Amino acid sequence: MIALFYIAAAVAVLATLMVITRAHAVHALLYLIVSLLAVALVFFLLGAPFAAALEVIVYAGAIMVLFVFVVMMLNLGAHSVKAQRQWLRPAIWIGPCLLAAVLLAELIYVLAALPAPAAAPVVVGPQAVGLALFGPYLLAVELASIMLLAGLVGAYHLARPEICGPTEGGT
Amino acid sequence: MQYADYMALLPLMVLSAACAAVMLLIAARRHHGLTVLLTLTGLAASLAVFPVALRHTPIQVTALLTVDAYSLFFFVLILLATAATALLGHAYFHAWGGHREEFYLLLLIASLGACVLAMSRHFAAFFIGLEILSIALYALIAYPRRRSASVEAGLKYLVLAAGSAGFLLFGMALIYAEQGTLDFSALTGGLSHSGPPSLVLIAGLALVMVGVGFKLALVPFHMWTADVYQGAPAPVTAFIATVSKSAMVALLARLLAPLDLHAAPGLFNALAALAAASMVGGNLLALRQQSVKRLLAFSSIAHLGYVLVAMLAAGPAFVPAVMFYMTAYTISQLGAFGVIAVRSTQAAEADSLDTYHGLFYEHPWLAAVLTAMLLSLAGIPLTAGFIGKFYVITAGAQGRLWWLVITLVVTSGIGLFYYLRVVVALFSPAPAGQTLPTNASPAAFSGAVVLSVTTCLLVWLGCTPEFLVRLLQRAAP
Repeated sequence: MIALFYIAAAVAVLATLMVITRAHAVHALLYLIVSLLAVALVFFLLGAPFAAALEVIVYAGAIMVLFVFVVMMLNLGAHSVKAQRQWLRPAIWIGPCLLAAVLLAELIYVLAALPAPAAAPVVVGPQAVGLALFGPYLLAVELASIMLLAGLVGAYHLARPEICGPTEGGT
Repeated sequence: MQYADYMALLPLMVLSAACAAVMLLIAARRHHGLTVLLTLTGLAASLAVFPVALRHTPIQVTALLTVDAYSLFFFVLILLATAATALLGHAYFHAWGGHREEFYLLLLIASLGACVLAMSRHFAAFFIGLEILSIALYALIAYPRRRSASVEAGLKYLVLAAGSAGFLLFGMALIYAEQGTLDFSALTGGLSHSGPPSLVLIAGLALVMVGVGFKLALVPFHMWTADVYQGAPAPVTAFIATVSKSAMVALLARLLAPLDLHAAPGLFNALAALAAASMVGGNLLALRQQSVKRLLAFSSIAHLGYVLVAMLAAGPAFVPAVMFYMTAYTISQLGAFGVIAVRSTQAAEADSLDTYHGLFYEHPWLAAVLTAMLLSLAGIPLTAGFIGKFYVITAGAQGRLWWLVITLVVTSGIGLFYYLRVVVALFSPAPAGQTLPTNASPAAFSGAVVLSVTTCLLVWLGCTPEFLVRLLQRAAP
């Protein structure tokens, strides 16, 4: 069990290293997805299947796919088909695939060979998470909503298309 | 949550409601003056319900926040400084094209984050408060989004703040792994055991200190300070220098106050080294600056070093000394950056020292205000800064931190040089043919309000500090 944890952690570190050394955004994003999947597996092995599911659905699923789509949509044009074919050369996708395959093998092994994740002292389910969030940590949830508002307003202001002429905001 | 909890949190809830109200106003009608007015009304309403909260103190509201006289003091300080920033923003953005209204919304959100920091007694609240403050600040720093210096400063702050938040989170995780709780009392428990504290706990604390040191811009975590101070619009610089630092100081004092630092000599020595490095580094780096904003940035590093000396003293005078120093520092910085904000135009920030030559002969009042603020920062008698520094030195002497106190006195002497350099520039004759730009719009009135109020407070606290000192001694936890 401990060995499984270390393998998943090593995949996460390796994938993250690849993220920050890739020059191309799409390649980096592929590795980032693998890194997030590895973290999800670590959560699962530590007895937090709900956090693992959220990690896959929210981060690796929704947010990262959004990132990839946005990066691809920004490059629309005549040359984009050729460019995208170039991005998806085997040399590019083989690395993330290998790492993901390691994770998949681990997951299958865990699900098939072991009755339950044995390294975990307790399994924290969705109900426990919900009770904690909307019980003692209610204020944290409310404050996090304010934090998202700050991010939303800030992003809206900084990324708003030009409508007021080039004089806006100084020289 | 009980009735008393809601009453104690009322100021925070009113502040959140003000954020929502300003957002809805912007959605309904864009109007600069109206937005400023609503922002100030929201801040005033939040201050108005503060006596209600005070009646229910001290109280712990859920596991996350604590409302006592100490946190309410910083709450009032933060809200007043935010109101001053909003007024300065009104003067600064008056003549700008483009959307100016979101500035006040972000300002309110940032002040909310700062208030949460001042009230937190739990690492989760600490982190969320810090992130609310930081995320709002990224956008505020880069607010003039067509000015490349501001965008660069915002990006720099974003990357470095995110990095330091990573350190902070890892430190919190280590402390949690060791103590099994995220409450601040975990540290008190972990450090008061007989025998040396565990390595994991010390490592966690050290990483948390990296996050705190970044926000306070202590040497060696100060790299962002000068560029961000210079690139951000002047009112935002005032906000970073005052609100963001006061909130973090409030949190750090709450974290350190119950600890027996002599039980952990490694931690004590590390903090003492940070304090000494900040005092020496900040003052030396400020000596040859040609930009007033950079000069004030480096001087603020030194000031936070002075505050850290008082924190390490851990005597009975420690908390009131820190509170008084932060009050005096906030007033002086608001006034100093207020002068810069009032003098800045859309074309250029009034940043270079050259643009201050001969200011006295054209705008004697502005020059007088700036002189008073700089003298207060230098710690000259009859200003609030002098009492603050005196208080800090007293606390340091009571704690027998002789080396730190000597460093403080010597580096303050060095600091006098660069403050006086600016003062000399103000009174030296202006170069021929130069006209000093000053924002002469009708909105300059709001800038004048801030400058006159801060100057009056500065002199009042400098001459008769008894009132505030007595208040602080009662408010200290």
